[in-house]
Amino acid sequence: MRGVVIEELVGPDGAALREDVPEPEGAHPRADGERLLVEVHAASVSFPDLLQSRGEYQIATPPPFVSGGEFAGVVLEAPAGSDFRAGERVAGMSIWGAMGEQVLALPRYTLKLPDTMDYAEGSALFLNSTTAWFAIDRAGVREGETVLVHGAAGGVGTAALEMLKAMGARSIAVVSSDEKERVAREVGADEVVRSGGDWLTEVRELTDGLGVEVVLDPVGGDRFTDSLRALDIAGRLVVIGFAGGGIPTVKVNRLLLRNLTVTGIGMDPMERRFPGTVARVTDAVISLAERGSIHPRIGARLPLADGPEALRILERRAAVGNIVVDVRT
Amino acid sequence: MRAAVLEALVGPDAVRIADDVPEPVGEHPMGVGGRLLVEVHAAGVSFPDLLRSRGEYQMRPELPFAIGAEVAGVVVEAPEGSPFAVGDRVAALTHWGGVAEYALAMPQHTLRLPDHMSYAQGAALYLNYCTAWYALHRAGVVAGETVLVQGAAGGVGTAALEILVALGARSIAVVSSDEKENAARAMGADAVVRSDGGWLAEVKDLTGGRGVQAVIDPVGGDRFVDSLRALAIGGRLAVVGFTGGSIPELKVNRLLLRNLTVCGVEMVMMDSEEPGTVRMVNDAVQALADEGKVRTLVGAEIGLEAGADALRLLEGRGAIGKVVVAVRG
Repeated sequence: MRGVVIEELVGPDGAALREDVPEPEGAHPRADGERLLVEVHAASVSFPDLLQSRGEYQIATPPPFVSGGEFAGVVLEAPAGSDFRAGERVAGMSIWGAMGEQVLALPRYTLKLPDTMDYAEGSALFLNSTTAWFAIDRAGVREGETVLVHGAAGGVGTAALEMLKAMGARSIAVVSSDEKERVAREVGADEVVRSGGDWLTEVRELTDGLGVEVVLDPVGGDRFTDSLRALDIAGRLVVIGFAGGGIPTVKVNRLLLRNLTVTGIGMDPMERRFPGTVARVTDAVISLAERGSIHPRIGARLPLADGPEALRILERRAAVGNIVVDVRT
Repeated sequence: MRAAVLEALVGPDAVRIADDVPEPVGEHPMGVGGRLLVEVHAAGVSFPDLLRSRGEYQMRPELPFAIGAEVAGVVVEAPEGSPFAVGDRVAALTHWGGVAEYALAMPQHTLRLPDHMSYAQGAALYLNYCTAWYALHRAGVVAGETVLVQGAAGGVGTAALEILVALGARSIAVVSSDEKENAARAMGADAVVRSDGGWLAEVKDLTGGRGVQAVIDPVGGDRFVDSLRALAIGGRLAVVGFTGGSIPELKVNRLLLRNLTVCGVEMVMMDSEEPGTVRMVNDAVQALADEGKVRTLVGAEIGLEAGADALRLLEGRGAIGKVVVAVRG
C-alpha cells in the first residue's frame, strides 16, 4: 500500500512517500491484541507527529514506520465483540500509521464519525477535541466562568473555544498574530489579547481586576508565571502541553498565597488508572459533534504525496489548525 | 496585665515578660463584628509567630506587641448581637497578642470551646484544625482514600491525622524521630514512615504500588518532588506551608504526565473570593470538637514567664503537636 514512511529519526527529511509499504498485520501494539483495521480516507498530523519524526516523543515505534497520528475512514475489520463493525465511518487516534492507505486503530481511541462530519474534519477531531474537553472537565469549568485560552488559534485552543461557547462560559483567547486573532474570533472567542503585548494587564481589565477563573495552557514556556498572575483567587490552571518549548517551573508559594490550583492532564495514564475515562470523554465529544457545536479546523490540506511537507509545515509553525492529508483522492 | 512582649524583630531573644502591659483597647484590627475580649487561660504559638518575631511575616502590628497567635479562655466582653456572651468558653485566632492575660479575638475566627476540652487543648484548636480541615477539603479527600501527611507530628500534621480518622480516610504519616512516630500513632496514623529513610518506596509498598490519593504538605523543602512521586495517577497535593524552610519549585511536566494537581491552601484569602469559606471551615471544626472527634495534641506546655521558650521550641523544629503557654496557671 502507499504510505508516508519515517525511515530515519531526523525530522521531516527522514520521511518519504513509499508505494510498497506492507499492509498492517495483527493489532496495534497498544490495543491489547484487538485488531481494528481502517481504510483511511484522511489523515491528520499535528505536533506529536513532528516530535515522533525526530524520536523525541514519549510514545514511539522504531523506524521505519508510517507517520500520522490521526485518521478518519471506514472500518475494514473489527475485533469480535467490539462496538465497531465493517463499513462504519470512524475517526480516531492511531498515534502513528495514519498517512497510509490502511491503519491499525486502537478501539478505545476510536469514535464513530457523525454523518454531519466529512473525513477531513473527522481526521482532525479526536486528539484536539478530547484533549480540550478533558482539560475543561479537569478544570471544572462552569457556565458563566471566564477562561483564558493560550495558543487559542491552535488545534486544542480552537476546540476549547468552541466548547466554552457551547457550555456558556466566557473565553479570552491569547494569540500571536492578526491571522490567529481572526481564527480565534471565528470560532467564538469572546475576547482576544495578544501574547506579544501586555496581555496580563488586558486580562485584568477584562475581568474587573479580578482575573480569570481558569487558564487552559497548551503552550507552557515563559508566560506560565503570568498565567498564574492572570488567575483570580482560587483559580485553576490546566497544563496541557508545552508547544512553546520550555517546561515552566513554578515556586509553589505562588499557589499558597492565592489558593491556586495547577493540574496536569494526560488521558492515557488516567484511562489506565481509571478505566472509562476515555469513553466518558469520547461520548462527550461525539455528542458535541452531532449537535454541530464543534468544527475541527483545517489549516492546510495536502495530497498524500506531500505527506513529508505536512511535517515541515508543523516544523515552521506555519499552520493554523490541523494539517490534513487526503489519503484517497 | 502580664504578657510576653516582642520588642524588636530579631526573633525569640527579643521577647520580654512584662507586668505593665496595657490591656487591649478597641477591636482587633482584623476582626469583623466588634470588640470581643477574652480572658486568656492558655495561648498557642505556632510557626507564623516565629516568622512574625523575625519580621518575616507580612501581617503584624507595630512594635512592641504580645506574641501568641491563638487563645483559649473566657469571654469578658462581647459585642451586641454577637453569638458570644460574657462567660462563654472560647477558642480563638488572634494572630498576635495571645500570650497575655487579656486578648482581643476576631469574632469571625472564634469557636466555642466544648466543656470536655481543656483550655490548653483549646489553644491548639483553631489554627491547626481549620488549616488541616480546609487543606483536606481543597484536596477533595473522601472516605476510603489514602492520604500522606508530611510533618505529621507537627501542629497541622497531627490535626490532619485526627481529622482523617474522623473522615474514614487512611493516613500515612511522615515523621523524623521515634518520639514523633509515637505522637503520630497516638493521633491515629494508620501507617508511619520516616523522612530520612526510603519513605517513598515504603509509601508505594503501603499502597499496592499505586501511591496515595492526596498529600498534605506543611513542610515544603527538598522532599516536595518525592511527595509528587508518592501520588497515584490523578492525585492531589495541598501546599499548606513551608516549615522546612525552603520553598519548592515545581517543574510542571511532572503534573502533566500523571494528571496530578497541586493546590495552595489559604483560608482567609479564600474567604474574600468565596464568602462563607471561613464559616464553612469554622462549622466543620466546631462540629468535630463538639462531637469529641478531635482532642488536639499539646506537645509542650510552658508557663508565661518562659514565653520566649515557646518560640525557641518552634525554632528548633523539635516541636511535637502544639506549643501552649499557660497564661493563668
